[in-house]
Amino acid sequence: MNGDLLTVALLAGAANWVFRALPVITRSDRMAPGGWLERFLSATGPAAIATLFVAAILPALTPDLRALLPVIAGTLAVLGVYAARRSVVGATLAGALVHGLAVWLTG
Amino acid sequence: MTPPRPPFLDGLTASLPIVLGYLPIAFSFGVAATRAGFSATEAFALSLIIYAGASQFLALALLSSGAPVLISAFTLIAMNLRHVLYGPALMREAGDKASTRHAWAWAWGLTDEVFGQALGSLARGQRFSEGYMFGLGLGAYAAWVLGTVAGALAGGGALEAWPAVSAGLGFMLPALFLALLLSILGRRQVPVIAVAGLVTVAATLAISATSGILLGMLAGALAGMARR
Repeated sequence: MNGDLLTVALLAGAANWVFRALPVITRSDRMAPGGWLERFLSATGPAAIATLFVAAILPALTPDLRALLPVIAGTLAVLGVYAARRSVVGATLAGALVHGLAVWLTG
Repeated sequence: MTPPRPPFLDGLTASLPIVLGYLPIAFSFGVAATRAGFSATEAFALSLIIYAGASQFLALALLSSGAPVLISAFTLIAMNLRHVLYGPALMREAGDKASTRHAWAWAWGLTDEVFGQALGSLARGQRFSEGYMFGLGLGAYAAWVLGTVAGALAGGGALEAWPAVSAGLGFMLPALFLALLLSILGRRQVPVIAVAGLVTVAATLAISATSGILLGMLAGALAGMARR
């Protein structure tokens, strides 16, 4: 095992634990009820999910219509299945399936 | 009347789309690690100890280019700083009575996707439970570590023979985030989502993908804070 790799992994892993677990253990969300911090924190969730969606879809966007078609098809499948079933799992699986099929058909 | 299912099993079931999304990404991480000259054991150690996708790919680039250890570590730490916002956002939705006795263990699993799925389930009216968090987190963690090992053992080119399967699996994470976004969508959230999305696009194009994520999240949260 490479010593440098293990050191970097342990430092980054320890920081990850601190970032993820410590705010939950200390219930840092309770610090300012009703104040600006609460509004900030309650907006963090939706902001994070919106950001992660944009970051995940951005590399797939291209002016090449042939390459874009599977992305559009997959996105429409997610929207359609979610509207019909209100299921996150169902919509996700349908999106991936339709995207894969569209790649296969256009490829 | 049938007894309710244990929350742990509910969490494990809810981890399914994350598992299917993580497997191919972790697999490609394992492949990339062996290509960069690391052993399967080292790839396994990175996934087990760091457990943060994008920063692990960055770790490969830094370590194989001989970057100094402390600079590499601090770069990875800065990249994962966004996770500090997830716990408070989740616990705020969970409510004051939510137990955090075992948070030292399950909160380790609060990745982007696990956080999103957990928040989505609370937004849909499900009660917070540590058992659910364990199930959700364990499914995702196991998929990440096992996918890495499979990729490292398979070596390069394993998914290249199946482009449609690879593409479909690769679309799993954007699809999951879109579905989660739909599940929390409400009139109050529209300005937050719009600001976060626009800033992510602008910062990604102008600076880098990591800055895009960090600044987008921050701008969206600030937009929510400014709202009365």
